[in-house]
Amino acid sequence: MNASNIAVLQREKARRRPGAGIGKAMTTPGQIVSLVVLVLPLLVALYMSFTDWTPTRGSLFQASFVGFDNYSDLLIYDTRFLQAVLRTLLISVICLALEFSFGLGLAVLFMREFRGKSLLFSAFLTPMMILPVVVGYIFWMLFQSNGPINQMLEFVFGAKAAVEWFRSAPFAVTAVIITEVWHWTPLFFLILLSGLNSIPENPVRAAVILGASPGQIFWRVVLPMLKPVIIVAFVIRSMEIIKLFDEVFMLTRGGPGSSTETISLYIYKLAFNDFQLAYGAAAAFLVLLGSLVLVHLMLAPVRDQLLDGGR
Amino acid sequence: MQRKPLTLVQTILMAMALMVVLFPIFWIVMTSIKPPTDWNASPAIWVPSKPTFVNFKTLFDPDAIREYGVGGVSQSATKAVLGSVLASVVSTCISVIIGLFSAIGISRYANGSKATPLIILSGRMFPPAAIAVPFVIMFSALNLIDSYSGLIAIYVAVTLPFSTWMLKSFVDDLPREVEEAAMLDGRSRIMAHLTVTIPLIKGGLFATSMFVFILNWSEFMFALVLSYSNISTIPVQLAKYVTATAGTLYGVQAALAVLAMLPLVIVGYFIQSHLARGMTFGAIKQ
Amino acid sequence: MSMPKLELVNLTKQYDNADVNAVDGINLTIDAGQTLALLGSSGCGKSTTLNMIVGLERPTSGDIRIDGVSVVDVPAGRRNVGLVFQDYAVFTSMTVRENLAFGLEVRKTPKAEIQRAVEKVAELLGMSDKLRVSARELGGSELQRVAIGRTLVTRPSILLLDEPLSNLETAARLAMRQELRRLQRDIGLTIIYVTHDQVEAISLADRIAVMNGGHILQTAETHEMCERPSHVFVAGFLGSPPMNLLRGTLEPAGNGHLFHAGPLRFALPHTAGGAEPLAADGARNMVLGIRPEDMALCPADQGLFAGAVALVEPRGHESVVTVDVGDAYIKVVTPMRNAPGEDETVGLAVRAESLVFFDGETGQRSAHLHS
Repeated sequence: MNASNIAVLQREKARRRPGAGIGKAMTTPGQIVSLVVLVLPLLVALYMSFTDWTPTRGSLFQASFVGFDNYSDLLIYDTRFLQAVLRTLLISVICLALEFSFGLGLAVLFMREFRGKSLLFSAFLTPMMILPVVVGYIFWMLFQSNGPINQMLEFVFGAKAAVEWFRSAPFAVTAVIITEVWHWTPLFFLILLSGLNSIPENPVRAAVILGASPGQIFWRVVLPMLKPVIIVAFVIRSMEIIKLFDEVFMLTRGGPGSSTETISLYIYKLAFNDFQLAYGAAAAFLVLLGSLVLVHLMLAPVRDQLLDGGR
Repeated sequence: MQRKPLTLVQTILMAMALMVVLFPIFWIVMTSIKPPTDWNASPAIWVPSKPTFVNFKTLFDPDAIREYGVGGVSQSATKAVLGSVLASVVSTCISVIIGLFSAIGISRYANGSKATPLIILSGRMFPPAAIAVPFVIMFSALNLIDSYSGLIAIYVAVTLPFSTWMLKSFVDDLPREVEEAAMLDGRSRIMAHLTVTIPLIKGGLFATSMFVFILNWSEFMFALVLSYSNISTIPVQLAKYVTATAGTLYGVQAALAVLAMLPLVIVGYFIQSHLARGMTFGAIKQ
Repeated sequence: MSMPKLELVNLTKQYDNADVNAVDGINLTIDAGQTLALLGSSGCGKSTTLNMIVGLERPTSGDIRIDGVSVVDVPAGRRNVGLVFQDYAVFTSMTVRENLAFGLEVRKTPKAEIQRAVEKVAELLGMSDKLRVSARELGGSELQRVAIGRTLVTRPSILLLDEPLSNLETAARLAMRQELRRLQRDIGLTIIYVTHDQVEAISLADRIAVMNGGHILQTAETHEMCERPSHVFVAGFLGSPPMNLLRGTLEPAGNGHLFHAGPLRFALPHTAGGAEPLAADGARNMVLGIRPEDMALCPADQGLFAGAVALVEPRGHESVVTVDVGDAYIKVVTPMRNAPGEDETVGLAVRAESLVFFDGETGQRSAHLHS
């Protein structure tokens, strides 16, 4: 292998891949930006998570290296962290179950024919277009002691039915759940309706001819065909709901006490109230790890179908 | 097979669902046009007897706000609104332009690894609160805290993977032959992309831009962490109105919320046909 | 006379915005154990008829009777009619066994009985070793067998197949043809094939009903339909190549008739075979039909037609020669060794008895002249 051979090979390679230079030129800006503004901070945060740094103690590079101490502290001693994790998971599971059920019900209704369908479709999609802080704010108003929700409860169930939503833990959590479900059910609706519209008709007809009832057709023929779509919907929502912050911030700020404190709220508190930056970074990486495992597990059944170029 | 119509029960259910969906929106719109006397009524008033648009004016009137100023809120929303517009529009443009070229590069020239989807997914799973920390560190070193440049930089960084991925899915949908035909016509490769590829994905480009705009406009935490006295965005201002006054500014808060909502609801309507694709990162196309 | 298995009585289907009925008052009778092919090109109404027999669509008027009992008000799942779709529509999320068992499971049949029925049908179709395989992993003809098996398990009294051979490659087609015939022999089902492919129809069914424009033009045993089409449309549809059809006028002339179509004119003798000659003043519009197999090449001045050869298509041991006779093209089938070269002028000799006339207006085979 001498220099001229190598040069010839390189020219051949370039010729075989037409426009390779252009391609590189086009992706380079994106790669630079990602590197500087995304990868770099992540690496800084990763490094930070292995130190004991707080800003009161000087710069980051003066902080001492503590290995996995932050991580083990979080997992073993930090009950507040573990509670935040469990709480977030609980809220997520309940929200996802409700969003899926309502979304599916609505999608099934939309498989029928009726007037004003496209207008109603737009209307039902509206909640998910609204900013999370605004959604949090709206429901903060609705759940006030003298607000409309209590008024309606009193109207239906009598004077004692009104609830101090933000003063007691279970009610505060319920308020968070209701807010989230209102906000994001349209996403399940949208995705499931897409799915229902794309399943082939003939297997359904075949099931009809074989004598199946509508319920049997739905459970045994339609839903299995929807499986990939359902999993995508769950994965997408799970990834977002674990980061739940804006709505809860506006509704309860994590209270009463820490009874509605989600993971993101706890990390925010650690970083920006307590200035436990290194500790907070470690918490964040733990959450990232957990999410990755969760998503990997959820995607396993449909992995091949999905990563085929996103089709 | 023709589709069947709704049964009576189903119609009732749908009507109920519609009421649940529209009620909160109804409420905030009503609150935004309540005169100040109605704000703290107990029980809360549903429909004001004398609706008024004065709250929207108050929002932008520093003196009027100061009158209500309880707990130190004497800011009009002008800076926040301008700030949101600036930050969202600029970061959207940058993100989409860079993302567009990256998308073409990845789609047509196979640059970028197989791990790219995984990286993008991971990016979406990282709690923003934590990633805000290194940004704060970096920005304070660069004097970018409390500046729109810093905020825009973060918004671009956070939305770039998304805009790249979305646009890539639109470019993927376009057959390569289209560019090859343009090149056979004598155009250079880059001209082919500029004059053929990009115009043909106009719809997708618009949808992606709107998506990114929605993400940036709605963004709360980074703005919260990075803003002190110089910069502000609408979500941050809304939070300030709420936490500082704990309820007494209902009408004005609601007016700001409605202002924030309106562009997104309108935009959402126009990109409706691409919503599924955007929300599922291209996994599902309507 | 025993009860026919299936009767369609004046069956009509009209869609809301249409001027023309998709299916227009058709009548059809099928006896038990028969096979019938419903043949026609797309848009003729055969798919609509299929859907109505099965129960997926409701007729606008008319009746459908199975074993003498009207089933128009019986829902699709209870008519005991099976349907195999053109694209098979197998349940891809289930195994072969689950697919086969589906029809019985939804009827809450006891497990043991389902087991027996599934295994029997699987054996019949040669799928016993594939029961546990997921439907996603099956190939084309296997999917078709699962689709057939799925309906057989429920023991339908009538089986309908929609374009059963069209999705198969040639080799599989041959195999499936034999398989279907064997099934029919073994089980004695009444089978209706719906197809646009006349070769498929001829090879699969004992009887054929040809549909066009919502009407059934002729129903007959297969061989009779090929030999004696009773309608000009049928004549032009069956056969490869199909019958040559010339539109023209027939008038009485001297001791016989004169037929002219454009520049072509020729005289025809009377027939002896009981057909009536035209009345002296009765010139009529007629379509003359001649089968490609009923003609022979001859010197140009000796045949009924003459013209230049436009195309010669070899087909194994014979060739199809297309001759330009002036206003029309006539196709004749001739043994390969007799095939002329292109642009040669040839004559076509026809036996008078093999000429067929169809009424120019109704399309019906004419009672005049030869039948």
